[in-house]
Formats: sequence, structure tokens, C-alpha cells
Amino acid sequence: MTSLTLAGIRKRFGKVDVIRGVDLRVADGEFVVFVGPSGCGKSTLLRMIAGLEDISEGELRIGDRIVNEVQPAKRGVAMVFQSYALYPHLTVRDNMGFGLKVRGVPPHERRQRVEAAAATLKLDALLQRFPRELSGGQRQRVAIGRAIVGEPDVFLFDEPLSNLDAELRVHMRSEIASLHKRLGNTMIYVTHDQIEAMTLADKIVVLRDGQVEQVGTPRQLYERPGNLFVAQFIGSPKMNILPIEAVAGKLPGQPKTASLVGVRPEDLELTEPGSGFVDARILISEYTGASSLLHVQLPSGQVFLVAHDGEAPPADTSVGLAVEPGRLHFFADSGRRAD
Amino acid sequence: MGGLTQKQLRIVNQVCWTLALAVAAIPFVFPFLWMISSGFKSASEIFGSPSLVPREWQWRNFVDVFTYQPFARQYFNSLYIALTVTALTLVISSLAGYALARLRFAGAGLISLFLVSALMVPEEVTMIPNFFLIKWAGLIDTHWPLIMLPVFGPQGIMATFLMRQYFLALPRELEEAGKMDGLSRFGVWWRIALPMSRPALAAVAIITFLNSWNLFLEPLIFISSLEKFTLPLALSNFTDPYGTPLWHLQLAATTLAVLPILIVYLIAQRQIIESFALSGVKG
Repeated sequence: MTSLTLAGIRKRFGKVDVIRGVDLRVADGEFVVFVGPSGCGKSTLLRMIAGLEDISEGELRIGDRIVNEVQPAKRGVAMVFQSYALYPHLTVRDNMGFGLKVRGVPPHERRQRVEAAAATLKLDALLQRFPRELSGGQRQRVAIGRAIVGEPDVFLFDEPLSNLDAELRVHMRSEIASLHKRLGNTMIYVTHDQIEAMTLADKIVVLRDGQVEQVGTPRQLYERPGNLFVAQFIGSPKMNILPIEAVAGKLPGQPKTASLVGVRPEDLELTEPGSGFVDARILISEYTGASSLLHVQLPSGQVFLVAHDGEAPPADTSVGLAVEPGRLHFFADSGRRAD
Repeated sequence: MGGLTQKQLRIVNQVCWTLALAVAAIPFVFPFLWMISSGFKSASEIFGSPSLVPREWQWRNFVDVFTYQPFARQYFNSLYIALTVTALTLVISSLAGYALARLRFAGAGLISLFLVSALMVPEEVTMIPNFFLIKWAGLIDTHWPLIMLPVFGPQGIMATFLMRQYFLALPRELEEAGKMDGLSRFGVWWRIALPMSRPALAAVAIITFLNSWNLFLEPLIFISSLEKFTLPLALSNFTDPYGTPLWHLQLAATTLAVLPILIVYLIAQRQIIESFALSGVKG
């Protein structure tokens, strides 16, 4: 088990800065998730940690070693790829044992380690099969098994569940979580799916345009987003944002520097018109089973989303929107949180 | 037609297609059958009887072929040259193709352009400078030019580009997984890229072998000793002292010459057709 330190990490592809100065510390045994929109540099950052991309500037430490110039296989990391990257010409057993064979691990030890990993991942019966004979979930488990047998210090996952169907994704997510619990290794996981990020992570790193927007626990990011981007990126449906001047009167806890107020759809409650902090008219009501998602229009013309439990009022009904004072998020003009 | 079921329609359709293809195949199959049958006829019967089945089976032709000139030696020459050319082409084209597909090095684009432009030069143009080069190297009347020219000439370049295109289509993540597993660049090529390129390697092997096996112009120019002849040259050498072809011997020898190709084709028919489809080369 090992910690990881990224100091002033930059990556340039020609004249384009893809990673623009990332400082981050990942503690020993921590499960860290890199999350962000497409093109934010999260996969590039992971690949730099793996050694598959050169580091243009900055310092990467794994444990006590600076590994900027160290070959991927000698960094003590293992990677699970988005496409699984199983060797199609090798059986499951050979796929899992391939890295050990390259490193010159004796056959009997190789067999032991492969079989132990296969037992952990319930792959025993599939060892003689080729990747083409496996389902998506089985392939994913083999890819994880291949990473496990190398006994790495750090596991890297590059959107490993994005090729699976919704049901299997939930199942594999819980398998990865229990794997982390069992092995206790440091794990870095890249995803654009914030549910994966929220459920798996000890710590989430939100990236945008090659920079870290915020680092924190899932709860910190959800309850105290550091800026407008994080506020709207974390949480589904995304946070409603309203200019302060669109609200009649001063909001409770409103700081002087605030120019925008944010409120999550699940924190809004419907009240009688005039009794909330703002009035609205219901446009559409989407029944989702557990609750309804209401699209409501404010007097300013802006559309808010409201997650509403119970019977939803019909369209065109006028309502008031109320929220507990502690559930309001204020942001300055710059987009930063205003407290 | 109302009485025909779906299944019957399919059978009728299949029969019609088979008949049409059989008729279309006659111009290709007939000369082949004529060659084999004439190999068993006497010289006079070949032009005297239009029948495909010989009146008298002349098994002697197949013995005479070996006594008329050192045909066994010539057969062996063709075989070892074709195998050597194939092996060398496989090694060089897969290495060079991989380098062009995956390595980032200064002048990579220029090298590709240079190689492609070399393909544009007709073989007849390069033959004279090649002759002088081979003569200067003292390799006239040796098998070296028959090996080196195909390997490093247009056929080698074609093979290199075929391999390059195939390597370009391989998923990069597999090679990266190889690197994570501890493979060097060479190891990635040898243990991942190459095993995954079997269809392309098969295509290169089949095309190269056929080209070398059928090579006529180069042996004609560079080889003068009878025992160093390759098959195509040897086949044209079954003549009487006045230069008239001894058809019965020539066709018996040709029958023997196509034998390995025929056997390989029967064994790997599907693979060969896929190879031609992959390479865009017509058979």
C-alpha cells in the first residue's frame, strides 16, 4: 500500500495544455475518483500516473519514489482499461498470468496467484476460455483479476464500467467497492458517472479543463460545493441557480458578496403561492416512480427543477417554492462559493 | 409459382446460382484440366486428339521430366527460395510496418512517402540499375538477387504497407496493457501485435510465396546455370534442340509445379480468399 503525490503536474500535446498544473495527495489505501466532463483531462492524468503518457512538467511520487521517468511496469501500479484490453489470443488463465510471466515469476507461483485471484472473482470455471467466449461482466472481472495478480501498490481504473449495461454496472460497482475493502490498496478511478464517483470514493477530485476544481469527500462536494461548476456537476438532477436579484427580499444567511443562489431540486418544497422564497408555475411533471420531477417556471422566465415526493400538482398550477435556510448555496460573481 | 414453398424457392435459387457459376468457371477450369490431361498424353496426341481423357496414359512423361534436366534440383531451388523470401518478408515487413504504424520518429512521414513513391516506378525501369548493382556485387548466376529483390523491392514494400495498415487498426489499449505488464516495445510487437496480426501475416505469406514461386523475369536475367534455374525458367526450357516446345514434358512439369500451390490452396482455401480480400490483391 502506497501514497501518491502529484506536484505541479502538467501535460502538453504540442501547443495544447491538457493538464494545467495539478497538485494532489492520495493517501495510503484511499479510494480516489477523478470525475469531470469529457475532455477535462481525467483519463490523461490517470495515464500519466500509469506511465503511459509522459509528464511534461511537475513531479509524480508513488510512495517515496519520484517515478516521472520510471517504466509503467516498474511503478507498482496496475491498470484496468475501459475496453478491458484482454489479449484476444490468450485464455483467461494466460491473460491473468501474462504480466507475471513477463516478469519471470516461476510457473507454480504464477498458477497459484492466478487461481487465487480467479477464486476471489469467481472466475474459476472460466480459466480455459478465450475473451471472445465471455460476457461483458466476465471480461471486466478478468481485467480486474489481471490487475490483482500483479499485487500492485496502486490500482488504476479508467472508466471500467462504461461498457456495461445499467444493471451489471451497479453489480460491478459493488464488487469493486468490496474489492477495495478486502485488499485495502490505494485505488484511483476515473469516471464521468457521478453516481459511481459518489458511491465508490473516499475522496473525489473534480476536474475541468485540465485543472482541479475541488477535492473532497462525496458529502463535502455535495453539501458544500466550492464553486458553481462543482455545484452543478455533482448531484442529479443538477443544482438550480438563480440570480439573487430575482428573489424578493433578502434570503436567510445571504452573504454580502453573493450574486447567485443555488438550490438542489431535492431540497425544494412546494408551498402555497407567496409563502416561499419565490413563486413559480408548473410546466411539466415527470413521474419517475419514487418521486416526480417537476419543471417549474419562475416569474423571471427561468426554469427550475423540483424533485417532489407524493402526488404532483397538474401543469399550469401556481405554487411557491420553499427551502430550508441551510440548504441554500451562495456564489460570488467569480463563481466561487460565497460564505 | 404459387405452389412453391419458401424452402423449395431457396433450393431452386441455389441450383440456378450453382449452374450459372459452373458455366462461368469453364474458361478458368478448362485450361487447367487440359494441362493435367496433356501431361499424360504423348506429344502427338496433344494436338491430335481434342479429348480431355488421354487415349494412352503416358506416365513416362513424369519420369522424363526429371531426366531431361535437373528438375528435382530446380524444384528444390524454387521451394527454398520461395520459403526464404516468404520468411524474410514476414520478418521485415512486420517490423517495418509496426515501426511505421506505431513509432514516432523523425522522418517517419518522409520514409512512408519514399516507400510509396518507390512503388510507382515500373519494375522494367529498375531492372537495368539492379542488374548493374548485382553484377557489381558479384551475385550474377546466384540465388541472392531472387531473394533480395522481392524482399526489399516493391513486393516487400506492399507487404510492409499491408502490415502497417493492420497494425494501425489494432486497439492501442492492448499494447498499453502489454506495457503495463512489463513488455518492452519489441516485446509488445512480438507477443501482442504479431499474434494478433495472423490474418495479415497469412495474407503476406501467401501472396509473397505465390509471387516468388511464379517469378520469371528475374531468374531469366540473373540465372544462367541449368542447376540454378527455378521452376518458371525450367518450364520454359523443355524444348528440343531446335527450340520447339516439348509440350507433353512441359505440361507434365507444369502439373508438378502447381502441385504445392494446389495442396496449400485446398488446405487453406478460406484463409487464402480472406488474404486476397484483406490485401486488395486479385488472385
